[in-house]
Amino acid sequence: MAVVSARGLVRTFGEGRAARRVLDGTDLDVAAGEIVAVLGRSGSGKSTLLHVLGGLDRPEAGTVEVAGERVTGVGERRLSALRRRHIGFVFQFFHLLPELSGEANVLLAGRVRGAHPSASDRGRGLVDRLGLRHVAGSLPHQLSGGEQQRFAIARALVNDPGLVLADEPTGNLDVQAGAEVLELLSELAAEGRAVVLVTHEASAAAIAHRVLRLEAGRLVTA
Amino acid sequence: MIRRLLAPPRRGRTILAALGVVAASLVVGTAATVGYGLATGFDRAARAADLPHVIARFDREARETVDERVRALPNLEARSYRHEIKNVDLRANGRDTRKGILHIVLEGRRGYAVTEGRDVREADEVVVERGLAREWDVAPGDRMLVFRGWEVEVVGVAVEPDNVAFPLTLTPRVYTSERSWDHPVSVNLAQLWLADPGRADITLTQARATSFGIGGLAFVTRAGIEVLLGQAAGIVISLLVAFSLVALVAAGTMLAASAQAEVQRRLPAFGVQRALGFTPGRLAAGQAAETAVLVAPAAALGLAAGALAVAGPSAALLAQLNEQPPGAALLPVLAACLLAITALVTAAATWPAWRAARRPPAEILLGGDLAGSAGRRSRGPDGLLATGARFAVAARGRFAASVATIAVCAGVVTLMLALAALLERLRDDPGTVGKRYQLSVRLAPSAVDAVKAIPGVADAAERYQVDVADSFRLGEPLRLIAYPGDHTRFEAPPLAEGRRVQAEGEVEVGVGLADALGLRPGATLAVQTEAGSEVRYRVSGVVRALEHDGRIAYVRPARLLAAQPDAGSTIAVRLAPGADRPAVERRLRALGAPPQAVGGATTRNAAFLGVLATVLRGVGLAVGLVCLYALIQALAMTARERRGAVALLRACGGDARTVATVLAGAALVVAVPAALAGVVLEWLVLGPLVARLAASFAVLPLAPSPGQVALVLGGLALLAAAATAVVARRTMREPVIVGLREE
Repeated sequence: MAVVSARGLVRTFGEGRAARRVLDGTDLDVAAGEIVAVLGRSGSGKSTLLHVLGGLDRPEAGTVEVAGERVTGVGERRLSALRRRHIGFVFQFFHLLPELSGEANVLLAGRVRGAHPSASDRGRGLVDRLGLRHVAGSLPHQLSGGEQQRFAIARALVNDPGLVLADEPTGNLDVQAGAEVLELLSELAAEGRAVVLVTHEASAAAIAHRVLRLEAGRLVTA
Repeated sequence: MIRRLLAPPRRGRTILAALGVVAASLVVGTAATVGYGLATGFDRAARAADLPHVIARFDREARETVDERVRALPNLEARSYRHEIKNVDLRANGRDTRKGILHIVLEGRRGYAVTEGRDVREADEVVVERGLAREWDVAPGDRMLVFRGWEVEVVGVAVEPDNVAFPLTLTPRVYTSERSWDHPVSVNLAQLWLADPGRADITLTQARATSFGIGGLAFVTRAGIEVLLGQAAGIVISLLVAFSLVALVAAGTMLAASAQAEVQRRLPAFGVQRALGFTPGRLAAGQAAETAVLVAPAAALGLAAGALAVAGPSAALLAQLNEQPPGAALLPVLAACLLAITALVTAAATWPAWRAARRPPAEILLGGDLAGSAGRRSRGPDGLLATGARFAVAARGRFAASVATIAVCAGVVTLMLALAALLERLRDDPGTVGKRYQLSVRLAPSAVDAVKAIPGVADAAERYQVDVADSFRLGEPLRLIAYPGDHTRFEAPPLAEGRRVQAEGEVEVGVGLADALGLRPGATLAVQTEAGSEVRYRVSGVVRALEHDGRIAYVRPARLLAAQPDAGSTIAVRLAPGADRPAVERRLRALGAPPQAVGGATTRNAAFLGVLATVLRGVGLAVGLVCLYALIQALAMTARERRGAVALLRACGGDARTVATVLAGAALVVAVPAALAGVVLEWLVLGPLVARLAASFAVLPLAPSPGQVALVLGGLALLAAAATAVVARRTMREPVIVGLREE
């Protein structure tokens, strides 16, 4: 059964002559334990697809289901709960809060209302598991890019999501750090999570079970 | 430019900034209207009434005798005469008084302004003072009974600003013409208009020199009346003027901080413009023009609303003082305020814009405010509230400005609450003026033991009160109060200097009297009683007495009674804690005289003080709204700057309550220290400052009570909650992805 399933997604930016339809009937299914890489040119709509799948953006048409729950057409409260329970986001620019230590950034996700009671313990465990304990108390600007991204991945996993959406996770990292992050994403898939990886790097796509290309608003096999 | 300011991306901020200017201008408009009206009320009324520069009162004389001396005086421009009759019985509309004053006005300049109807022309006509007309609902055409048997027609209403109005004074004034008399009217009051009012001393010196044979001569100058009126309205007026000053300072601080915040918000745009080649001067000029276009109409709106809101109460207050509201004369003042606010906010917005724009474009683009916080980690918990607090504190400059602004506002609110409570206590609570007894009863001193025996009476003693004059400066009236033994059992104003009276022949003088006569412990106070005898006392101490403007002296009664055996006395009654007051009053009544409740200090007009207290609380509420605006402004700024972090929390599953919790942390970290600082500010600075401005001769208890502190703290917590709700709602309306893109 697919962890995430999208049908006929449509998303347009701009109006009138300037309107650009970046998703035009896009379909996607990702199963548990599967890594799907989405490639495409800049501005092709890769990140938009990820945002729509994760309920951060709303499509004009089409449906999305995550873990059997509707993402499209539901209110903000249900979307928040859905993201909290089922979805973890990994961003290109990490989005760590500069005032908080790496570990505090991880634990912050476990402090949102409705988070699992053991989220904090799980967060500390993730910090240990990802080999970040020795820099757990450091501020983001004191960390390397790879360390920052690993903290960001730990944060995404605090609530034990079934779906990880990674938007150019290695785009801001050197080759070695990027490789470490990709290895980590592979491990996540091996644990049974569905991973959707948006990238334009061939090395990143290499870890995927399926590689798709977003062209003219539709996903095609690369 | 206005269209750009109101375009969708900036509309909300523009409206918020404009609301802030409106709120601050509202306070300025309120303060300016009340302050200007009070500060200039007497001059305006004196001009309108053609009030004479000198008023001379003397024992009754034939007009020709007096006029012969008066017309020879130097510097004299005009003169007119009246006959003043006191304690006249007046009745109209079912109301009556035995303390009326009838002025028989002879021909010549009047010295009063007829505000309704016409002046007296024929016999059996009177003009009544405005205070009486309002209080008794008397209008031209009504009938009035004077001296119980003389029926007259009221033909006009007049204002003569040489005294406060009835019922603030107990003696309403009525004017009639000499045509009502069938014999030549003698005179006891002369009104003198001087060619050069600045040289009144020459005229007065000559008048004294040529007054031989005219008894009881006393002069009052226009300047002296102004001082007397100030004393009559006393603490109330001084408090209001002092408040106006404090409000102006608070509004200025808030406007400047708001403008700074606006520039901080626009820093990224400055960076881009500088990178595109705009000069710092051009950016600053653009900022100035934009600010002025926004501020001028908002300030005009706020000033107009403030002026209109207090115009009614202010006019009522001035009417109580026999003064006129400023009317159109207020417009230039409000225009000056408009210019000042526009200039202040524009300068406050332009200066930081100029400073920011002069920095290298790359530095501006990096984000001047947040860059400084990247390397710091605040210690403490990492929960949602604490995270919100860190967001707010990260922009240190704005955080400090927000705390300072809200602290000043909270201080002003606390001051307003303390002032309102003080006014009510001055009206109701004798303890406020150092009185420890609650009842007085007009019984002979021999009844003291019987009064003491009443259950519920803790103590009782005869109390003598005599109005006398200083022997050396007869123009300095003072009030002698005498108790047998220790007077502090019944009246204990705080000791400012020296010690309490311990023996016959010693006196404690009020600071007001000590200042007027230059008295210090060890000095001699010589007073002349109404009987003409002189009594001397050695000053043992100086006390901060509020009553009678501090022109008061506490003695023991033996010497006073020797000099004036008929000195009036009452019995002061101090109730035991928990005493059944109605039962005590019944027992006192059974002894032969109704007990009087001991009141406060300033006036008998309870409604007057009640209105003032309400006005002050209303102003406090308005300033509270300014606090709300400042909180929303600060919180909206934080939310906007940290929209990426907020969006991240939402991406992690944070719902509206999670976001609200973070924002509540940001609001509380501003509101809590600001509230505490505000209370401390009022306690240590504003309260003492206003108290000193209002009555340097007394200790005004303007320190906030625990209840007022709780109200301010609780109120600010509620305002913080309201600001959080407003900003959280706005924040949640923004798509998550917008914030993430910005981050």
